[in-house]
Amino acid sequence: MKTLQLEFYKIKRRKIGLTMAAFLAVQFLWGLWAFHDPSEKEKAQGFLSLLYSLPVLDAVLVPPIMAVLASRLADIEHKGGMYKQLETLRRPGSLYHAKALCGLIIIIVMFAAQYALFILLGYAVGYQGHPDAAYYLLSYGLKLMSNSSLFLMQLALSMLFANQMIPLVIGLCGSLIGLLLMFVKMYSFLPWGGNLNAALVTMEWNPVNRNITYFYREYTPIELAAVGMIFVWFVIFYIAGRTLFTRKEN
Amino acid sequence: MQTQNLIETTNLTKQYGKVRCVNSLHMQVPQGAVYGFLGPNGAGKSTTLKMILGLARPTSGSITLFGTPMCDKNRIQLLSHTGSLIESPSYYGHLTGEENLHILQTLKGCPAEDIDKVLRIVRLEDARKKKVDHYSLGMKQRLGLASALLGFPRLLILDEPTNGLDPSGIQEMRELICTLPSEYGITVVVSSHLLSEIDQMADHVGIIRKGQLVFQDTLQVLHSHARQQIALRTGSLAQTLSLLRRNDIEVDKEEDYLLIPMTEDDRIADLCRQLCEHHIPLYRIEKREKSLEDIFLSLTGKETSL
Repeated sequence: MKTLQLEFYKIKRRKIGLTMAAFLAVQFLWGLWAFHDPSEKEKAQGFLSLLYSLPVLDAVLVPPIMAVLASRLADIEHKGGMYKQLETLRRPGSLYHAKALCGLIIIIVMFAAQYALFILLGYAVGYQGHPDAAYYLLSYGLKLMSNSSLFLMQLALSMLFANQMIPLVIGLCGSLIGLLLMFVKMYSFLPWGGNLNAALVTMEWNPVNRNITYFYREYTPIELAAVGMIFVWFVIFYIAGRTLFTRKEN
Repeated sequence: MQTQNLIETTNLTKQYGKVRCVNSLHMQVPQGAVYGFLGPNGAGKSTTLKMILGLARPTSGSITLFGTPMCDKNRIQLLSHTGSLIESPSYYGHLTGEENLHILQTLKGCPAEDIDKVLRIVRLEDARKKKVDHYSLGMKQRLGLASALLGFPRLLILDEPTNGLDPSGIQEMRELICTLPSEYGITVVVSSHLLSEIDQMADHVGIIRKGQLVFQDTLQVLHSHARQQIALRTGSLAQTLSLLRRNDIEVDKEEDYLLIPMTEDDRIADLCRQLCEHHIPLYRIEKREKSLEDIFLSLTGKETSL
């Protein structure tokens, strides 16, 4: 607990909050532009559409944000050569857990803020009804799980490599992979496809009248397996990150 | 009463691939000592100290700290009585000196007042609110020492602590290290590749060469090797040798010279007289001094740099 508290103390002046706020601001501005003048049909299925739009948006934007978050948390130790000091005071496993938990708490808060902002935006632009609490909670949970997996992967890279360009480039590549996956299909077994797997709503676009209809997704067995893969990636990245970090010599 | 060794290594070995950086090291650091760990660059000093601190895993051998064999389970508990500064000072550049010390003080679980004490000892009180990124290298080094001193541990391990310091900083650091055992009861292990530095600080010395400990004893014993001698070159080394032996004088041979221990002037005069009586021509009589540097080089090999 003390080690975790110190993680938050250490990231003072690292502007991590500002980075997360900037990410939310970009998404919110996009939301304002995209949803500011909805038609009656759009108002009727507004809250449903958010469960599609947000995961799609996250598939592109979140991988580099997770890379930045992990890098901001880990590079403070590399810069001043702190690991060789800390590892005489705490077990490497404990240091890894503190960093991972610190990042996961930030992620939990960030995505809660994201949902709150978009729900408020929905009410502000006149979406009808209310968000379906069960689906929103499930979507939030899956989003946390899939993006936490990405974070743990990035954290492992950032803790292992002193040169932060390596994990940051991987984060950017993840963004491109997320974008490409959207053009292929709505599921993927890759870690960057988690946001798409977690989209509980899908859509049908009618090219004739240019209408979009949103509806709850009926998962095929392979798509369900892809959702399960989110949990597998989480476990893999957690174990791999912890093992590699604890085995690393300074 | 026998002095307890705070550090004892047995057959400590570290191998990276085919390279053996540390080879069967038997290191013994007595309590209350300033132990100078001396060796040329790349001799294995830092690797040894890292293994003692658990930052590198030994390939084989064992380490005993404070009389307890160190293993993965008790490592952190044993190291809670140590402070260290390895290779370069560790710090968070975006935090102030005081904030850096606060983090380590919390992790060490020592009183908050220690922060003021160590800042005073290393003379960084005026820079406590300054971000460490804005510190000079010497200030960072002093902050590193302050971090190591937090909690006033029983054992302090300092790897080349004078790196980056200006001459007055080096002098200050040396004086501080010398006072740690008497003022705070701290045993210090200090590594350096500079013999003169160790000569000024340490009372015990370990000299490492190519991963092997080639000397380990008190500085006094090392100094005793650095004795003065008289070198004689005569017309007949064999006759001179037998003459010296008849006089019960210990003799070493070095090329065309015979080396005898430094002795009183009267004894030398008598020796010269005897040489004349035996018609042995005396070509040269010189005073030779084997310096600590000579000893160090003979132990570590002349091809290595100081």
